[in-house]
Amino acid sequence: MKLYCLSGHPTLPCNVLKFKTTTIMLDCGLDTTSVLNFLPLPLVHSPRLSKLPGWVSKDGSANLEKELKECAGRVFVDSQPEFCLPEKELLDLSTIDVILISNYHCMMALPYITEHTGFTGTVYATEPTLTIGRLFMEELVNFMERVPKAQSATCWKNKEMQRMLPGPLKDAIDVWAWKRSYSMQEVNSALSKVQLVGYSQKVELFGAVQVSPLSSGYSLGSSNWIIQSHHEKVSYVSGSSLLTTHPQPMDQSSLKNSDVLILTGLTQMPTANPDGMLGEFCSNLAMTIRAGGNVLVPCYSSGVIYDLLECLYQFIESANLGTTPFYFISPVANSSLEFSQIFAEWLCHNKQSKVYLPEPPFPHAELIQTNKLKHYPSIHGDFSSEFRQPCVVFTGHPSLRFGDVVHFMELWGKSSINTIIFTEPDFSYLDALAPYQPLAMKCVYCPIDTRLNFHQVSKLLKEVQPLHVVCPEQYTQPPLTQSHRSDLMLELQPPPMPYRRCSVLNLPFRRRYERVYILPELANSLVPSEIKPGVSLATVSAVLHSKDNKHTLQSVPKPPPVAPSKKRKRVLEEPPAVLAPKPLLSGAVPLEAFLVTLQKHGITEVKVEETADGHILHLQAEDTLIQLEEDGTHIVCDNNEPLRTTLRDLVLRFLQKL
Amino acid sequence: MDRECALLLPGVCGVLAGSGSSLPDDTSLEKLLDWFTGLSEAGGSLLEACPCLLTFISTVVQNTASDPGVLSFALRLTGLLAATEDSFKTIQEHSVLNKVFNLQHWQEAGLWEDPCLRIGWIQGLRSMLQHPQALRFFVHSDFIDLLLQLQTDTSLFIASAANQMLAHILLFFQPGLSAGSNGVDKKEKDDGMAQSSADYSAVVMSISEYFKESLVPKESRNIRQSLQILKLLALLLAPAGPPLRDKLMQTVGDSLEELVTAGSSELTLPLMDVILSACSSGTDERVTRLLSSMLNINKPADLIHAAAALLRRGHHDAVHTARAVRILLLPIDIITGQTLLGTISTADEHQFSVMEQLKTKTSCISMICVCLTNTPQITLTPPDVLPCPPVSIVTAVLSLLRICSGVFSSSSTGCSEVCRNVIGSGKVQKCALEALTTLTSSPGAKEKISEVFTVLIQYLENPDSDPTVLHKSYQALLKWTSVCTDFSFITDKLKHDLLEVVKKRVCDMRWEVRDSTVEFLGHLAGVCVSIDSAEEECDASVALLGGSSTTPLLREALQDTESYVRASAIAALAKTLTHRWQQGATLSEEEPEIVRRLLEILSKDTEGFPRRAVVQYFISWYSSQSPPSSSSSLLMQSVRSVLSQGRADLDWEVKVHTLKLAELLLDEAFSGHPGYKKGSDAHQAPPHPYGVVSEQAYTLHTHASKHTEGADSDLAGVIEQGVLSVLLSGLVDCDRPVALKACGLLINLRELLCPLSLGVLDASAATAKVSCELPGLGWGREIIKILTMKKSDQTKEADNAAQRGFNGAEEGGDGMCVSVCEALRSLGLDERMDVLTQSSDHIHNSPFSLLQDILTASATHTKPGEEVIVDCY
Repeated sequence: MKLYCLSGHPTLPCNVLKFKTTTIMLDCGLDTTSVLNFLPLPLVHSPRLSKLPGWVSKDGSANLEKELKECAGRVFVDSQPEFCLPEKELLDLSTIDVILISNYHCMMALPYITEHTGFTGTVYATEPTLTIGRLFMEELVNFMERVPKAQSATCWKNKEMQRMLPGPLKDAIDVWAWKRSYSMQEVNSALSKVQLVGYSQKVELFGAVQVSPLSSGYSLGSSNWIIQSHHEKVSYVSGSSLLTTHPQPMDQSSLKNSDVLILTGLTQMPTANPDGMLGEFCSNLAMTIRAGGNVLVPCYSSGVIYDLLECLYQFIESANLGTTPFYFISPVANSSLEFSQIFAEWLCHNKQSKVYLPEPPFPHAELIQTNKLKHYPSIHGDFSSEFRQPCVVFTGHPSLRFGDVVHFMELWGKSSINTIIFTEPDFSYLDALAPYQPLAMKCVYCPIDTRLNFHQVSKLLKEVQPLHVVCPEQYTQPPLTQSHRSDLMLELQPPPMPYRRCSVLNLPFRRRYERVYILPELANSLVPSEIKPGVSLATVSAVLHSKDNKHTLQSVPKPPPVAPSKKRKRVLEEPPAVLAPKPLLSGAVPLEAFLVTLQKHGITEVKVEETADGHILHLQAEDTLIQLEEDGTHIVCDNNEPLRTTLRDLVLRFLQKL
Repeated sequence: MDRECALLLPGVCGVLAGSGSSLPDDTSLEKLLDWFTGLSEAGGSLLEACPCLLTFISTVVQNTASDPGVLSFALRLTGLLAATEDSFKTIQEHSVLNKVFNLQHWQEAGLWEDPCLRIGWIQGLRSMLQHPQALRFFVHSDFIDLLLQLQTDTSLFIASAANQMLAHILLFFQPGLSAGSNGVDKKEKDDGMAQSSADYSAVVMSISEYFKESLVPKESRNIRQSLQILKLLALLLAPAGPPLRDKLMQTVGDSLEELVTAGSSELTLPLMDVILSACSSGTDERVTRLLSSMLNINKPADLIHAAAALLRRGHHDAVHTARAVRILLLPIDIITGQTLLGTISTADEHQFSVMEQLKTKTSCISMICVCLTNTPQITLTPPDVLPCPPVSIVTAVLSLLRICSGVFSSSSTGCSEVCRNVIGSGKVQKCALEALTTLTSSPGAKEKISEVFTVLIQYLENPDSDPTVLHKSYQALLKWTSVCTDFSFITDKLKHDLLEVVKKRVCDMRWEVRDSTVEFLGHLAGVCVSIDSAEEECDASVALLGGSSTTPLLREALQDTESYVRASAIAALAKTLTHRWQQGATLSEEEPEIVRRLLEILSKDTEGFPRRAVVQYFISWYSSQSPPSSSSSLLMQSVRSVLSQGRADLDWEVKVHTLKLAELLLDEAFSGHPGYKKGSDAHQAPPHPYGVVSEQAYTLHTHASKHTEGADSDLAGVIEQGVLSVLLSGLVDCDRPVALKACGLLINLRELLCPLSLGVLDASAATAKVSCELPGLGWGREIIKILTMKKSDQTKEADNAAQRGFNGAEEGGDGMCVSVCEALRSLGLDERMDVLTQSSDHIHNSPFSLLQDILTASATHTKPGEEVIVDCY
């Protein structure tokens, strides 16, 4: 059993598990942090961005003025943003049988895998994961295609060049493998390979293993996966949450008794408690609005935003924000808000029960009805005519490199009464803000990451007790910036097996058993005999039939009556002669009784020697040895076959035969 | 005892002796006993006053079928009666005493099992044991063994009572202390003394034997007995005179040493108590040795508790205090890595075991909390005892606070395995913040102020701080601000950070946090500091947050959805503006707006707290503005609205506050007049359990120049302001505190304007003419009713016109005009005052009522069907 690790990002994993005869890809995350190296894509022409100076190395030897721009001491690539794909060289991706998706954040690389690698398998995901994942992809494509960029910068990627570049660009890895966004067509094709599954539904893969998604509590339709055969169980834990937010709570008990537990997707903000952050978000928002400023919240179009809106719904009243407009701008804003209301079975219990009342599960419906929350596909069109300040704007993309958020950054960045509040934990806010420097706007960082923290995960592992844990190497040491916080790492016994991008791990367990079925008629013919109380044995002669990873014992076919034929038969075609099998022996030879028996048969001169495992009988007259051991008896005599046969029969008398 | 009660008592005794079960409620007997106790304490022999009691006792104790409650009552009553020597003799003559306290009697009746009876027995004896005769009886009846048994009774109350009783006997009858009765001639006295000293020795002997026997538990289940004995010893040793103390120490010394060596966790604290009590009454080598061994036991958690106990008791012995201090500082030293103890010497070999304990989360938190609670005490110990300067302890607490919030640099830390146990622990945070607050008084602490501010602001900023932690951070900040003498330590960056965090916290999601923040702003404004460069006084809010920045925040908070926050905001605004008011500064732009909003709250707010706060706001405004200033007109205008709205409020506290405001107006108007008693020092209403206690002592300003024209114009002015309406409506209010306050003020006014001692005509003619308008509805109507009744009572030949007027008012509901003086004289204020000063349940609480209740209850009991309603408050 092997695990191939194609992504080094702990929360956007992409691993391949070879288990029995199957090759299973676990998640397909797309590392989007690479876009931080690119200049933002403005929706309307930005004089500031277009005037940024080109970059020339200090000694003037490298001139990439066209491709690289400098802003506040950092260098950015002026090109369509590109993403860092999962590793493609580690194994042949066309051999992958299935891809299991755990949540919509972890499937963004799907089109790259399914469309360009010869992949012919199936993708499994829950319905909300597919639906919202599609929205995310659509949004991404829309963001990119809305502002096409003629230029595609590649010169900077030259090894010689890259080495001379400053800052993070120099250290970026695998830049040649970075890819531009996919197209809508690729998205549709990729998603057509998805097969929907429900929680706890069991899907057979070639009869070899069974996979089944479990609720993970992190987002709508998010799941952990159980991959098991009859005798082995592997659990795959991806983004999971124990907090009471909108999704169905996490199913923990089904993870019990795993041989291996692959642990990914822990919180990226171990020191930021989501509740505290939510409070911080609200108070900063209120503070800015009261001072007459605007609030910009860069966010994804699904997920935490539902909880933010729900929290604000209660907070608006108490903070006297009743008249402040809230705008949600995304090409998929409408769909996201509406879809969230219809996935009743995937919601937490509290919200599920609301489905039976004449009120929608999420209170954002009421915000929309009362005109407090308005949503628009983009800043163009209706929005521009209804836009009123001060206001709160929720919009993407959280990287601040593309999407409508770029416009608001340009619009509000210059004034210190406005605030940008980061709630998504995926991007470093300082890096995200880098191309907008100098910035007067106030910045507040309250990352809300509801995924498991180290405390919760230790408790979880203590409860489910997997034999082995595999996790990204980042989890096995404290965060770099807080090296003294030994509470922010996994401490397990035995220690977890760490992986990094391009690792190939041999998972430390050997398969020992395989289930074999026996046909009824064959079973009927067996004659068990009891060898000790409660244990019966029977011998069986049968043909082992293996098909689709299922093994069956069938009765040995009787040789067909030999039809008189003129054809000459080949020897090989003859069915093998079925010989009656020799009986199996069991039991032990009692020494005293055996000696008595030997004497009766005229063998008197016996010297008994005790050994570690039993006894050695030396028949001195016959010059023969009999070794009686726990698991074997040997008769050593030279060229005296009658004697050996006699002795053998004597030994056999004391043993049971099957 | 009054005659009425004396008449009822025999009947009651009969009822109790007959069937105790028909008591009106289970507190009756207690009340009855309280009454008797009161009577006997007042002097006079109960037995003489009510001989029926003796009969009652002898009847009851004969009847073993009586209710155990009544029996217990009888036992306690006997003790009470026998508390004086004379009565004791009388009772003994009637041979009641032997019967009453006879154990065998109760055991045979199977009643001893009832804890009620056992406690009655102990308490009865306890009341009786006030004279040598009683001791004699006690010793001769062999009660001491029984009492020692009861010390470990299954009922905790009984065990504790037995302990108290043992302590009482040993201490009360100590030789050398006058315990005998007075007025006996010398010879007799000497005899008595000799006898009682023999009795006393017998008691001491048995108890000592018992101590020797049982102090060291033979099995673990006997630990309770040891515990009880230790408690008793602690009670005894401190107040005991030298002979008794020495005797006791001699007896238990060995056992104590054995216990100390055994080191049972359960016994650590009681043991420490005993040793410290022994220390407090004199030291000897043995006690010192015991104390030293206590501070060397090897269970870290017990050791810390022992050390803490030592410091708490204020034990002054340099060696042991130093040791205790080291014990308490060690865990903090380990966790923070601050070298509080210098280089740790071999003397601290228990460091290893402490470290091990600290690695377990629960014991770590509890140990650290004990240490923290004691840090302020530690810093106050003499410097030669401390292993480090007190300021290092402040530093250590600060670094512990940083560790708790997870914000600390790896270089400054102690053991990381221990640190992780306290990260995020709210309990440790709270303890540390409390410690930090009290550490302000430590010598040298002030130089830490900037660091303290940094940490506290960090706490305020931390999104994960829970509301109580934030509250405590604010308290600490206030305390440190109040002791800060030099604000130059606080950098502009810190001030800016503080302002920013306060701005954020007033918008917090949790109302508790908003409330604490707003409260903090108010308190900060109340802290007076002098900025030392300018030698100018200003409030801390100006010094820290800049003058104008907090008012907008507070104004915003007036709109808060939570009533507590609104109330706090109003109070904070008042405090913020007080300084301006006192200086007579001109009205700021925002003030009229604030006043408008406050009046709106007073008239519309559905909750009482904000409305009360509004009235108090105007009280402080009115009382703090010294010379009439430009704000006067706005103030006077608003005061009129406040009076009229406050008067009609539904909340009684709002009404009482309104009356206080009215009182201020009266003070202002009349303080120049001879004969005017300021309301605040005249009729002080007795403190009511739910009464409003005003935090502020109002400064009253007299303007002598103003009061030359005479009382009439002042009175007219006051009436015009609506003060009289407030007083009169208050007088007829159904809430007692309101009526009481109003009545007091009206009496004051009457004394000034038209004292009853003078005839109607003597009152100054001018004031007599001043009249006021009474509305025909509500309170006006009530007043008119009173006036009419008085009128018709007093004078048969009524003033026809007025009569018509009164009647008209009653019928038609029209208002009327009355002369103020006449009204004040005819309202019967003094009678009203008398009624109002008595608490509302005074009738039902009287012994007479109690006796009646008992009788009635028994009557109903015998005649079932008729239900009696007992007043229960």
